[in-house]
Amino acid sequence: MPIFIIGGKNLMFLDKKIIYIVDDNESVGRAIKILLTTFNFEVRTFTSAQSFFDSVSNNDPGCLLIDIHMPGIDGWAAHKRLLDSGSKRPVIFISADKHENAADRALKAGALGFLQKPFNCQALVDLISIVP
Amino acid sequence: MLDKGSIISNISDQLRIKRQESARGKTHNELSNTVNSQADALKVKNVQIKQWADKEQRAEAQIHIRTKAMDAATDGIFIIDVKNKDFSVIYSNQAFQTMVGYSRKDIIGKNYFLLYADIADLRIAEEIKNTLQKDESFQGEMLNFRKNGDKFWNYLRISCVRDVNGVVTHYVGIQTDVTLMRRKDFEIKEQREELLHVTRVGKLAEFVSSLAHEISQPLTSILSYAQAAYRMLEGKDSQLQEILQYIINDDQRAAEVIRRLRSLLKKSDPEVKPIDINKLINETIELMATDVTVRNKVIKIALEPKLPNINGDRIQLQQVLLNLISNSLDAMEGRDEFRELSIRTSLNGSEEIIVEVKDSGCGIPKENMKKLFSHFFTSKPDGLGMGLSISRSIIEAHGGRLEVKNNPEGGAIFYFTIPVGGGVKEWS
Ligand SMILES: Nc1ncnc2c1ncn2[C@@H]1O[C@H](COP(=O)(O)OP(=O)(O)OP(=O)(O)O)[C@@H](O)[C@H]1O
Ligand SMILES: [Mg+2]
Repeated sequence: MPIFIIGGKNLMFLDKKIIYIVDDNESVGRAIKILLTTFNFEVRTFTSAQSFFDSVSNNDPGCLLIDIHMPGIDGWAAHKRLLDSGSKRPVIFISADKHENAADRALKAGALGFLQKPFNCQALVDLISIVP
Repeated sequence: MLDKGSIISNISDQLRIKRQESARGKTHNELSNTVNSQADALKVKNVQIKQWADKEQRAEAQIHIRTKAMDAATDGIFIIDVKNKDFSVIYSNQAFQTMVGYSRKDIIGKNYFLLYADIADLRIAEEIKNTLQKDESFQGEMLNFRKNGDKFWNYLRISCVRDVNGVVTHYVGIQTDVTLMRRKDFEIKEQREELLHVTRVGKLAEFVSSLAHEISQPLTSILSYAQAAYRMLEGKDSQLQEILQYIINDDQRAAEVIRRLRSLLKKSDPEVKPIDINKLINETIELMATDVTVRNKVIKIALEPKLPNINGDRIQLQQVLLNLISNSLDAMEGRDEFRELSIRTSLNGSEEIIVEVKDSGCGIPKENMKKLFSHFFTSKPDGLGMGLSISRSIIEAHGGRLEVKNNPEGGAIFYFTIPVGGGVKEWS
């Protein structure tokens, strides 16, 4: 029995992993977006955690790549807010600051991991691919 | 001023004249009148003489008192006679003699400037002479030497003594030994500098971490753009890809510089605490132990027992030790016959501790000697050239010095000094 998949658009949707990037540095967000696009991800960028929460609901699928140090809601606070709202969204922290034990803290909080900027694309893609 | 002798002889002359007059037939009355008035004058003179004598006695007493007072003064006082072109001293008080260490006999008649030892700064002597010769007074502080060579700080004031016509006849000098005051000032300055060092170490770390943040951001985007472009050109343009690969490599190198900088100045505020440097060396060697064994080298230590503590930041000083040791290991890389690295500590006087790291490696070519400590100088393919420059900043922030010399038997010797903790360095 052949399996029918209805609608090309849906097929695309299933194939492409969605990544949300939240970074107050616009250029960084844009660069990572272009990079991840070459890996065939679908990417949306935000310059603040608030704008991310405003336009993405917990039910929308996708992985969140979020900068730790940001004005307003910072990375840690955004993650907590996600957890508190019952979201299971996979989260990867990134930061240009040196954070002692940031990787440990991220893992303990239930995130996928932490990447120190600047990071290699392979390291990022490896982390993202942990998500099924 | 008339003296007693001349008054008396004057009077007796007059009496003789009077006798001659009477002989010429002057009346007795006339004569007795004259004698009477003469006697009166004599009385007045007598009173005057007594007054003069008293005055003189008082003057003598005054001179005596002044001399005693001058000798009791704690400042050195001296008088130079201008008539003698060679600044000869005609008077000096007790304090002056004590200060310069010469006896009065040695001083009187001597050129004042010859009392300055040969080691003294002769330019100052010239300056004083020039000022005085312009009939101006001099004031200044200078380093002088006693007869026995001991130095002292001399706060010297010389002014001109003038006669009624305003012509300078003498110079009078007062000098104060301000060595103790200077030392106090120096101690205060040292303490202030010590504080500054501490804040400077802290400021440096703070600066580095914000700099690191600022530079990391563009490095992140450059790396991502370049990697994206590289992937987009896959199978299309290998020449452009090669260029992009260079960009990626250099970006990563810059990122590595920042990573290293950060790890060197890990903590934002340095903790300045008393440190047993020997203990720190032992702990550092323990950290390096595996690396040393893997590289088939040995570390020998010769630590001076019972060294006083120094004040400093443990982590930063450990970074310096790690840098020096790993440089030495690098220098001995691939030279299996030279395996020995030695670390020594010693006390230099009571002022500073010296830590020496000696290896039997390749040594340092003369032309590189001067460049070693500049930022980013390296002779290693994967080196960043940051180890020594950062180490030197750390040591200097601790008030010490980091230096290098070649070991005549081959290899290099790096050594640094750290002032002994707690106390302030001896004044010199
Ligand atoms: N013990 C030594 N013997 C010989 N040459 C040395 C020694 N230590 C340092 N050098 C020379 O000084 C250069 C600068 O040393 P420095 O530690 O600053 O940088 P580096 O070791 O090259 O790189 P890194 O930043 O990784 O430490 C070295 O590249 C080397 O040429
Ligand atoms: Mg080095």
